[in-house]
Amino acid sequence: MSAFDLLMGVLLIASALAAVTLKNAVHAGLALVANFLSLAVVYFALEAQFLGWIQIIVYAGAVMVLFLFVIMLLFDAKADVGLDRLPWMRPLAAALAAAFFLALAYAFSGVGPVNPLADVKLGGGLPKALGGLLYGNWLYTVLLVAALLFAATVAAVSLVQPQIRKARVKPQVLERDRELEEVGK
Amino acid sequence: MSYYLLLSALLFAIGLYGVLARRTAILIFMSIELMLNSANLALVSFARSSGNLEGQVMALLVIALAAAEVAVGLGIIVAVFRSRESTSVDDLAEFRG
Amino acid sequence: MLLLLIILLPLLGFAYLGLFGKGLREPLPGIIASTLTGISFLLVVAALFAGGGSWEIKDWLPGIPFSLVLDHLSGYMGLVVTGVGFLIHVYAIGYMHGDEGFSRFFAYLNFFIAMMMTLVLAGSYPVMFIGWEGVGLASFLLIGFWYTEKKNADSARKAFITNRIGDLGFLLGMALLYSSFGTLSISGLREALESSTVLPLSLGLAGFLLFVGAVGKSAQVPLMVWLPDAMAGPTPVSALIHAATMVTAGVYLIARSSFLYANLQDVSYFIALIGITTAAYGALSALGQWDIKKIIAYSTISQLGYMFLAVGVGAYWIALFHVMTHAFYKALLFLASGSVIHALGGEQDVRKMGGLKKYLPRTHLHGLAGALSLAGFPLLAGFWSKDAIITATLNYPFGGIGLYVAGLTVAFLTAIYAMRWYVLVFLGEYKGDAHPHESPSVMTIPNDVLALGAVFAGFLALPKPFWNLIEPFLAPVLAHVEVHEMSLGMEWGLITLSAVVALTGLYLGYLAFTRWALPKWYLTFQTWSENAFYIDLVYNVLIVNPLKELSEIWALLDGLLDSGYLALAGLSGWLGEKLAWLQAGYVRVYGALMVLGLVVMLVWGVLR
Repeated sequence: MSAFDLLMGVLLIASALAAVTLKNAVHAGLALVANFLSLAVVYFALEAQFLGWIQIIVYAGAVMVLFLFVIMLLFDAKADVGLDRLPWMRPLAAALAAAFFLALAYAFSGVGPVNPLADVKLGGGLPKALGGLLYGNWLYTVLLVAALLFAATVAAVSLVQPQIRKARVKPQVLERDRELEEVGK
Repeated sequence: MSYYLLLSALLFAIGLYGVLARRTAILIFMSIELMLNSANLALVSFARSSGNLEGQVMALLVIALAAAEVAVGLGIIVAVFRSRESTSVDDLAEFRG
Repeated sequence: MLLLLIILLPLLGFAYLGLFGKGLREPLPGIIASTLTGISFLLVVAALFAGGGSWEIKDWLPGIPFSLVLDHLSGYMGLVVTGVGFLIHVYAIGYMHGDEGFSRFFAYLNFFIAMMMTLVLAGSYPVMFIGWEGVGLASFLLIGFWYTEKKNADSARKAFITNRIGDLGFLLGMALLYSSFGTLSISGLREALESSTVLPLSLGLAGFLLFVGAVGKSAQVPLMVWLPDAMAGPTPVSALIHAATMVTAGVYLIARSSFLYANLQDVSYFIALIGITTAAYGALSALGQWDIKKIIAYSTISQLGYMFLAVGVGAYWIALFHVMTHAFYKALLFLASGSVIHALGGEQDVRKMGGLKKYLPRTHLHGLAGALSLAGFPLLAGFWSKDAIITATLNYPFGGIGLYVAGLTVAFLTAIYAMRWYVLVFLGEYKGDAHPHESPSVMTIPNDVLALGAVFAGFLALPKPFWNLIEPFLAPVLAHVEVHEMSLGMEWGLITLSAVVALTGLYLGYLAFTRWALPKWYLTFQTWSENAFYIDLVYNVLIVNPLKELSEIWALLDGLLDSGYLALAGLSGWLGEKLAWLQAGYVRVYGALMVLGLVVMLVWGVLR
């Protein structure tokens, strides 16, 4: 284990913890971006360069922007406020997560240490190496995923499309008014 | 490489905690993304340790799937918010037993 | 198929009238029901001329086909049932005039005919049992026909419950026969009995149990208490079910099983004893009654006792002969009583009657014919059949001189109470305050036919040297019994003796009840007889009340058991409430539970 590994581990865990504990949704989102970026760095180290770039572009870029956009849209930055109806849920969740981690760690302990400098067959995880696989054995899977992505796009559009409602004021307008009133005070 | 596997397990557990402990739909969703990424980390480290690229291919597909999931999930959150004026999942306690 | 039609036609009438009868105008349901019964009668006649027939569904139950058989015995019985049934249907059109339940009444009557024909045509005991229970149900429904009065409903229940005791005997008897022979088909049993020389020991018990069923249905001692109360039903019902047909089902059952009883001397003797006891009890109780129908009801019990005396001594055809003559004159007596009650606007107490000869000339003739036939007036139907029974106690295998003397004594009593009934109702001065009027012809014409039967039916079977049509007709289906031949002089001497006894009884009865010249001890007897010797009271004290006590104890236990179950139910309810909290609808709770399951599965998978 090198110093790099240790550093990345600390970064990953710290950013992940921040992402699940921070009260402010925007902050939590930013912590998640940090987590994703650290993960991309780890990918580079694990000879998955293409994946690392995709992680940065798609996850840290597109997906997280979407998240932040929705947070902003719904004025949801102040998340997890107000009365918690299930206050005992937090310790229970911690306990369950810990138990899960222990069980998983125990399962992984069976996986033996692999030669640290494996033969460099991965080709650095570059598109040149991945492309053959993607459009070879995995072609149909890729096509399926593409179809799914398309269907999801359609679904998302139809979900968010303003419904034909009878003279109903859009909730977010009310929300915004309330918000503005509070600011005014 | 079991170091990164352990790391991925820890990240997964943290994501799990987030899913259960968070009350806001968007934050739960973010925790789910965390869990997906921890799975990706496991896949990539497996690929590395076994010298097989297929793990990376799978991770790639997972990212694509996650994108689809985000699209639909965020759409649902927006739709629910429109009718409920809330993003707290505790407000959705309709299927009372 | 013809046989099936005999049953299905009245059943169809029941279904139709039961479902749509309310929409029909008054006489129509009666006409439909009467017509269907009449057609059934004609079908029976046709089937008899065609030489009988049978119909069956094989493998209805293992070893038991659903079979209908029309041979001479069931044909004979079927003629009585549908013939008398038809006349009573017609009579009821007049009697039930203006009743709210007019169509319901005829639906029930048709149901009764269908069930009675099932009973009669049955080729195996289970099929007979279906009819047996069916007529019991019809009887229950019709006794309680005017169910809004508690007394009637109570009487219906009493009849039904008392019959259940007998039915239990029938069921057990069937079970015993089935376990011994593996079949319940009557012809199959007959063959099995005739081919085997060794008779199972259980046979006697089976015969006894079947007889218990007959005792319940035919109101014999000790299960006779329901029949007098059954008079709560409309009079045509009393005539049809509780005099002419259903109550003779027990006699029919024994005659049907004659191949069984002809081999069972002890049981047969027991049956004869029960029969003569019942005859005496019925006659003695009939003497003290004041209700016009109850006199005849007790008389019915008495006459049924005679029939059982006959089957007991082995004179099966004579019992059936008496079934027929009795059907005629007893139905006639009931219908005449019905006419009287109808004429007096519902009055049933004979002390408020008298002198009706003047007001109801036709009915008076009917009553006279019925009473004389019942009393055994020479040359009338009742005389021939009853005399045949009394004589049979001497020359049939299971008889005896004691039975003869007792039978003759009861005949004497019969003559007295028959005369008493006639005198109180028709002679003397009218003591009531209604304005009697003769019944419409729809009621009197059936009575005319029945009166003809009551007078002349006896000529179907005369003692030697005259003709006897019934014995050879029924001989092939009944068991053969060795009859001790009697000299002609002896036989006619006995006939003269019973004629003298009947005439003496009639004369004494006439003297006593027209002048009311009664000795003092008679008044004490009168009270006892009026209350039917307090049998109901005794039963209440000995059986009904202890059972009630017992049931109350059980009710307590039941309550305890109930509270136990309630506690159990409460517990599960409480548990459910607590568990329902898990289903509070909180997504996160569901999620936590899911993760919990996941952890458990993972741990289990890892550690395995």
